[in-house]
Amino acid sequence: MKKVNKNSGFKLPKNYLENFNDSLLDKISSQEEIKIPNKEGFTVPKDYFDTLHKNISDKLEDTPTKVIPLKSYKKYYYSAIAAAAIILLFVGINLNKTTNYSIEDIANSDIDAYIEYTDLNFSSYEIAEVVPVDNLDITDILDAGINEENIIDYLEDDLDSFNELNLDSYDY
Amino acid sequence: MLEEQTLLEDLKQTETQTRAFETLVNTYKERLYWHIRGIVLNHDDADDVLQNTFIKVYRNITNFKGESKLYSWMYRIATNESLSFLKSKSKKMGVSNVELQETLLNNLESDVYFEGNEIQLKLQKAIATLPEKQKLVFNMKYFQEMKYEEISEILETSVGALKASYHLASKKIETYIKEN
Repeated sequence: MKKVNKNSGFKLPKNYLENFNDSLLDKISSQEEIKIPNKEGFTVPKDYFDTLHKNISDKLEDTPTKVIPLKSYKKYYYSAIAAAAIILLFVGINLNKTTNYSIEDIANSDIDAYIEYTDLNFSSYEIAEVVPVDNLDITDILDAGINEENIIDYLEDDLDSFNELNLDSYDY
Repeated sequence: MLEEQTLLEDLKQTETQTRAFETLVNTYKERLYWHIRGIVLNHDDADDVLQNTFIKVYRNITNFKGESKLYSWMYRIATNESLSFLKSKSKKMGVSNVELQETLLNNLESDVYFEGNEIQLKLQKAIATLPEKQKLVFNMKYFQEMKYEEISEILETSVGALKASYHLASKKIETYIKEN
């Protein structure tokens, strides 16, 4: 085979051709598409799924329904308790009983403690029935108000793409 | 669909409830477990969340109006339960969500119920860097091979936005794995 560019004046770095194969292979492997494994690698204890239903049934029998009191509705509980106390007071007067209690006799700390530690069992539907939606404000749910700066910070930090806002044309 | 309807009716009636609940648990336990495990990472936590999910389903089945499919509703409960679980865990530990994720990932290396190799561990680390929504979409699409329409019903997000999220998530994961 005839040698090419024998006298062209070009020069090769030392050992270029000897090392060419290795550097080519390195380049190919570095550009190779990353293969993401399709399994997470998680496992479960032996017989876990076989005993699951029994475990859930046992738990269902053991745990009574628990309703977590909502702090934000506290003020409505005060009103409900006040109303109940007034009714009791009137009933007490009508029945000519000697013990007269008024809402003032109940310390605020006692009302707080009652709401905190008593399972009031109000469902969200029951609360919704007595709480007028029109009078609700965002500050009833959140302790701190949301200002425009907070919203912009949130959008900047938590959204990678405008698409995530999921705005369809009819949303505008 | 007919089966789901029958199951729902049986779940709402006292006489058939116990049997129907067993069928429900046996039908969905594995799918929901892997969904939850992908979010909370640790088996014991996943077990807790899964049991709570089924208990919530059982207690609220009478309120289920059938406006979405039963399994979408259950997936939604499982997702919310998992995310609330992580939030309360980070609160209890007094750490941020990011710090909690780091702890969970570090624990994964010594977890007896994790048999992943180096690349699988790296993949979990990459997933942990994603925003919550992208993380959910990636897990559901990639590992659970769910259809966009199914994910859309569960996450109440349009298919277009889900595709964009998945694309972004995959790109970020690829970059993370390449660079680390």
